[in-house]
Amino acid sequence: MNPTPSFWASVLHGGLQGYLLVGLLLFVIGLAVVLLRRSLLMQFMGVELMLNAANVVLLAFARWRGGDVQGTVSYLFIIAVAACEAAVGLALVVALHRHRQTTDADRADALQN
Amino acid sequence: MFLTFALFTLAGALAMLKARNLVVAGLCMVLTFFGVSGLYLLLGNPVAAALQIIVYSGAIVVLLLFVVMLLNSHEEEAPLKARPVQRWLSATVAAVLGAGACALVASSTLVRSLPTLPLEGPMTLQKVGHVLFREHLVAFEAAGLLLLAAMIGAIMIVKKEV
Repeated sequence: MNPTPSFWASVLHGGLQGYLLVGLLLFVIGLAVVLLRRSLLMQFMGVELMLNAANVVLLAFARWRGGDVQGTVSYLFIIAVAACEAAVGLALVVALHRHRQTTDADRADALQN
Repeated sequence: MFLTFALFTLAGALAMLKARNLVVAGLCMVLTFFGVSGLYLLLGNPVAAALQIIVYSGAIVVLLLFVVMLLNSHEEEAPLKARPVQRWLSATVAAVLGAGACALVASSTLVRSLPTLPLEGPMTLQKVGHVLFREHLVAFEAAGLLLLAAMIGAIMIVKKEV
């Protein structure tokens, strides 16, 4: 469990491990946003960050396979689905605000109990 | 260059986590997305970098900021009740997950021994188009249908009752 000097060189000069670290940290920050913030809009932004983290790792591995085109095609499909998710998710937040005048996750607990 | 873009990305994400104002948080997210698109450029993938800026910074963040201003919810509402246990638990879970994953990447001999294939020139739209329309035509059409369904669904959800 002790990183070698070559690991830090790889991170500093943009090796595969550097991209993996950026993707992992981005995912964890997105997870923290979803777990710690109460506003539904903030949680939505956290989900977008996690999607981006997955994309960074996907395209990093695609480059280390010699610039695999399949990685970019998968990325295309992922952002198409992310755009759908953004449209429907924001529509749900707007509809919730119309019914209950709130965007707070704690106040939108009608299904609880 | 890699370090610059990586720091932009992570600094934007951290600023978003700490931002009190939702508009500021959205702008920090734009910074993150620009950092990520810089990383894609460094990976020799200008197609993904352009798509990242157009779709994320251009469409999704603008939609999000539009909703924030439409609902006039610039600040988070006051908490109904303090939830110290949940907050500490989730912060700990996120920190442990992050530290554990970073340690795994740092110690993994598998990742280190992955061969680095030489890059065959930067990604071009031509290459992407060939693969997309020769091997993934059905999935492409399905994605188009999914976008249409999401658009109609979003309109139906926000429409006032008739």
